[in-house]
Amino acid sequence: MAKKITIDPMTRIEGHLKIDVEIEDGKVKNAWSSGTMARGFEAMLIGKDPRDASYVTSRFCGVCYSVHQTASARALDDAFGANVPWGGDLIRNLVMGAEYIYDHLIHFYQLSALDYIDIMAVANYKGKDKDLLAVKDKIVGLVRAGDTFPLTPRYKPDEFSVNDPEIVTMAVKHYIDALKMNAKARNMGAVWGGRTPHYQNIVVGGVTSLPDINQVARFRTMLDEQKKFVEEVYIPDVLLFGTGPLWKLAELGVGGGHYNYLAYGDFPRDERGRDLVFPSGVIIGLDPANLKVQSVDKDKIVESVKYAWYKENKPVHPYNGEQIFDLDKKDAYSFVKAPRYDGTPMEVGPLARMLVSKNPTILDLVKKGAKPGAVARHAARAVETKLVIDACYGWLDQLMTEMTKPGFKIHDTKHWDPPESGMGSGFHEAPRGALGHWVKIKNKKIENYQAVVPSTWNASPRCENGNRGQYEESLIGVPVPDPDNPINVVRVIRSFDPCLACAIHLIDPRTNEIKKFLIE
Amino acid sequence: MKKQTSRSALQTKGGDHISPPKIVILGVGNLLLSDEGVGVHVANKLMEMDLPKGISVVEGGTDGFRLLNIITEADRLIVIDAVKGGLTPGSIYRFNLEDVKNCPTGFKTSVHQIGILEVIHMSGLIGKTPRTTVIGIEPQSLEMGMELSPEIKGKVPRIIELVLNELNVTSDK
Repeated sequence: MAKKITIDPMTRIEGHLKIDVEIEDGKVKNAWSSGTMARGFEAMLIGKDPRDASYVTSRFCGVCYSVHQTASARALDDAFGANVPWGGDLIRNLVMGAEYIYDHLIHFYQLSALDYIDIMAVANYKGKDKDLLAVKDKIVGLVRAGDTFPLTPRYKPDEFSVNDPEIVTMAVKHYIDALKMNAKARNMGAVWGGRTPHYQNIVVGGVTSLPDINQVARFRTMLDEQKKFVEEVYIPDVLLFGTGPLWKLAELGVGGGHYNYLAYGDFPRDERGRDLVFPSGVIIGLDPANLKVQSVDKDKIVESVKYAWYKENKPVHPYNGEQIFDLDKKDAYSFVKAPRYDGTPMEVGPLARMLVSKNPTILDLVKKGAKPGAVARHAARAVETKLVIDACYGWLDQLMTEMTKPGFKIHDTKHWDPPESGMGSGFHEAPRGALGHWVKIKNKKIENYQAVVPSTWNASPRCENGNRGQYEESLIGVPVPDPDNPINVVRVIRSFDPCLACAIHLIDPRTNEIKKFLIE
Repeated sequence: MKKQTSRSALQTKGGDHISPPKIVILGVGNLLLSDEGVGVHVANKLMEMDLPKGISVVEGGTDGFRLLNIITEADRLIVIDAVKGGLTPGSIYRFNLEDVKNCPTGFKTSVHQIGILEVIHMSGLIGKTPRTTVIGIEPQSLEMGMELSPEIKGKVPRIIELVLNELNVTSDK
């Protein structure tokens, strides 16, 4: 008899997500992924000046503001017929490049690493390294004071957890170092964006402020420091864990899923946009020995609402999508719609990008026996962080060259006014995966607006033909020997870096205590 | 507009600070969910005011982690946010970080699971935790919309006054 367990809410992710799994013989037999928070901000864009869209959509989410701003500006570029000058594209790329660095670092260290180490092993560190002893003192001190947030609460460590005191203490030191690097990286996007979070500079047609040499130099200095950390700490850590203590998880391919991958492609290295850091492509039913990548046809994207709390409708292309809730719908179990490519569920994100681009490091890991799954996702994320950093140097050099050219431009001012009517789509490879925005314009106002976000692809519920979404499928067969400790389930889900936020964040203390602080 | 005269918040005794302490007023919230964005609206108003040197106003959106740089650089931090305490909409709460961090039921502050208070607390891991006070406002409406409800909009001047009182700063604007 299968036993059903519910994880609600999934913690250390961005947003509200509920996971139900049915366990039989120590393995997951069936799974349901439910986004438990209504979104639908698109509705408020209808009737607005289209130029507002990039600003408003940047408020969809406190985490992914710049990616929405970028996808939105690109959808408007398309609809307005604007041609972003290479200078504008370079600055957009640099802003988004910075985003990758801190998003991926925080995901590995602050959100995921604690799934793989037994933090209490720090107390057994017997070495003499001064820095590591300081970490030990700090953690032991926190435990004594009964104040171990953010290191707890946690699931019980299992057979896959690393408990070697040397490795764990080093990992905790890197956790703290990564936090410092993150605080610094925050300032990088602001060099171009004017502020952080919620940049000001990305608009239809390009960017708003001309760069100067000091900005280039500041960004380069900060980039140098991040590059060093990524090369000397982040990538070695991921490889050490992935090919060492976690190799068994990698070999088992825990968290694989459908083995279908989609990347829209992004980040041109050159003005003509022929050489992309992340090429676009689709893989259906991955066969590593015979890797076939097809080209992407965006007209094949539809969203199904069969199992989502929206008014019954057949699957439609995002241009025609709507947000009418139906909370009483039979069989519905999520606020997340189910996007499908040519009717098929897809995984988007770092692993999809690295497989589509046939990245040699990742393919080599696969060749050695690591099946694409949770561990491979962490590896892909680390590898692509380095690719983006390297590309940033190229963009900085090109920007310096562009700036010295007479008539240097960052914006297509001729296309600033909205067209009478039109439609456009904008795509971006956000850190979490393929992101698309679609806009329709009528009488110079927004007639319809839809965003299909990366976590919608990954976290989607079932669709018309009953196919599970990628989270759901990736949980099938995952070992859960102890139903009270579903640590492998959270490892798999967190490996996707879920972000379903896009909404409320208010302080909700869940305690009556707060009432005593009433002052008026 | 009169020039600010009261600077007591910036004065130090002894020689602890070579530079004056850095004071940050941080308004957070989601601008798209009416009163959830009250911190953002208040911060935007404060930015238009002529505040003494050494006080920065930051409008922080909804993700705590994104603000780590700002938090770790502050000595004194005033956070303005919507707070669900269960009392009448428009109620104003005031508490310090240490008042709530050991609440028995714990703090679940944000959809991000790691919310603004957790991140402030976490800043201690990489340096110092600023002395933090939260001015919280019980929201009336969390519907989609970029405007505050009339009830909460009416409270904005008072919230600004309370924030400035924290810093012993007066303003007639």
